[in-house]
Amino acid sequence: MNFYPIFLREMLIFKRRLLRIGYLFSTMVTPLLYLVAFGLGLGRGISIEGVSYLAFVVPGICAMSSMTNSYSWIATTIAVGRLHFKTFDEFQVSPVTATDIMLGEVLSGVVRGLFASSLILVAGAIFGAGFPKSPVFFPVWLLNCLIFASFGVIAGFRAKSHEDTATFSNFFIMPMAFFCGTFFPVDRLPYFIKAVLYFLPLTHASKALRASFLGQGVEIISLGIMLAVFVVCFYWGVITIRRSNR
Amino acid sequence: MIITENLTKYFGQIKAVEKLNLHIVKGEIFGLLGPNGAGKTTTVRMLNTLTLPTSGRAEINGLDVVREATKVKRLIGVAPQELNLDRELTGRENLRLHGLLHQMKGIEERIEYLLKWTGLSERADSLVKTYSGGMQRRLLVARSIMHRPGVLFLDEPTVGLDPQVRRQIWDLIRNLKQQGVTVLLTTHYIEEAELLCHRVGILSHGKLIVLGTPPELKAQIGRFVVESLDDGVTNYRLFEGREEAYRFAQTRGDDVVIRESNLEDVFIKLTGERIER
Repeated sequence: MNFYPIFLREMLIFKRRLLRIGYLFSTMVTPLLYLVAFGLGLGRGISIEGVSYLAFVVPGICAMSSMTNSYSWIATTIAVGRLHFKTFDEFQVSPVTATDIMLGEVLSGVVRGLFASSLILVAGAIFGAGFPKSPVFFPVWLLNCLIFASFGVIAGFRAKSHEDTATFSNFFIMPMAFFCGTFFPVDRLPYFIKAVLYFLPLTHASKALRASFLGQGVEIISLGIMLAVFVVCFYWGVITIRRSNR
Repeated sequence: MIITENLTKYFGQIKAVEKLNLHIVKGEIFGLLGPNGAGKTTTVRMLNTLTLPTSGRAEINGLDVVREATKVKRLIGVAPQELNLDRELTGRENLRLHGLLHQMKGIEERIEYLLKWTGLSERADSLVKTYSGGMQRRLLVARSIMHRPGVLFLDEPTVGLDPQVRRQIWDLIRNLKQQGVTVLLTTHYIEEAELLCHRVGILSHGKLIVLGTPPELKAQIGRFVVESLDDGVTNYRLFEGREEAYRFAQTRGDDVVIRESNLEDVFIKLTGERIER
C-alpha cells in the first residue's frame, strides 16, 4: 500500500487553501446560512419529533455538509487534474495501484468533509443545539464522508469535462441535500417519493446522525445500507481508476 | 532497451500510430521526429503505460508494457509535453511527492542534487505557479529523473521555450546522455533532434517513414540544398556536392539560398510536407 503520497498531496493543497480567508468563508457560508435561516429563523419555537427544530436540523446539515464537501473537493480536484492540468498522469505513470490512488483521494475527501461539517457542529453548539449524545455519531459521520468521497472519485474520473461534475452534483447531490431528511423527516413525504429516498445513502446518514446526536437508538439497517453503499462505491472507484485513460 | 513490434493505436476510426517497429538500445538517445499529429505523443503514452495499444506489443528492458505495467513504471521516467506539475505546491514538494510515489530512499539528498543540477535551488520553496515556463520545464525534467530511471521519455521537452532556455534543457539532456540513460525524445524541432539524438525516426500520419542517424538520413537525400523562390513558392533542390549546388543556384537568379541539408529536408523529400516549426 502506498496511498500516503496521494493523501499528502491533497493535504498540502488543502492546508494552503485553508489559509485563504475567502476559501474558508465559501466553505462555511452555505451550511451556516441554512443553519441560521432554518434553525434560528424559520424553526425558532418549533419542535419536531419531540425536539427543538435547531437540534433536529443540526445533524441534518452536518450530514449535508459532510456529503457536499467530501464529494465536491474530490470530484473537482480529480476532474480538473485529469482534464486540464494533467496532474493525474503523474500518479498513473508511478508504481502505485488504483487502490492506492482511491484510498489517498477518499481519505483526503474525508478530512475535508469532517473539517467543514465539524464547523457546523461547533456553530450548532454555540446556537444552543448541544453536542452529539451518542458516540455512534462519529463512525456514522465518518462513513458518510467515506461514501461521498468515493462518489467524488467516481465522478471525477468519469467526467469528460469539468461541467460533468457540476451536472452530477445538480442532479444527484443537491436533490439529496434537500430531500433526504436534512430539513424535515422523510416520513412526511408521499409514499412513492419516500420509497425512492430510502435507496439513497444520505437518507440513512441523516437518520443515523440525527438519532445518535439526540441520544436515540440508531437503526442497524441504516448502518448496513451505508456500509454496503461505501463498499460498492469504493470498489467501483478502484475499477474506474484502473480503466481510466485506456 | 525499448522494443516495439507492430505497435498500433486507433482512436475509434482514427489511426494514430500504425505498425511501429523500433529497437532502441541501452544508453541511446532516440528521437521521434514529426509534425503535430504524427503520433509521437501517442507512441510515448503507449510506452509509458498511459494508453493501451490497439494491437502489437512493446517492451521496456524485457517487460511488457501492458502485462507488466507496474514493473515498467518503476523503470521509466516521464516528462510529458504538458507542464503537469502541481502548481499549488512548491518545486521541492513536487520532487518529494515523486520520490514518495516511487518509495525512494534518500529523497532529501536527491532533491538537493536535482535542484542544484537544474539551477532551481533558490526558488525551491516557491509555489510552482510562480515559476516561468522555462523553470517549470526544468523542474519537470528533474522530476522525471528523480527516482533514477534507466529509461526516460521526454515528450517535446522544449516546446514553447525561448532559445536560451531551450539550450539549458539541451544541456540537461546531454548530461543524461553522459549518465547512460536511455532516452526517447519526441520533438518537431530539427536542430534539437540533430544535436541530441544518436538516431532519429521520422513519423508521418502515424507511420515510421524513415529511421537512421542524422548523417545517414541526410546522406540519403543529398548534402546540399538550394532554396529558390519560384512564382511565390519556395522550391528545394538537393545536391551531393557544393559545386553542383552552386552552379544550379546561379541559374535561379538572386533570391536563392544554398545551405547544408537537414532532417526537415529529409521529411519534405519523403512526404512533400513540412514539419511545423
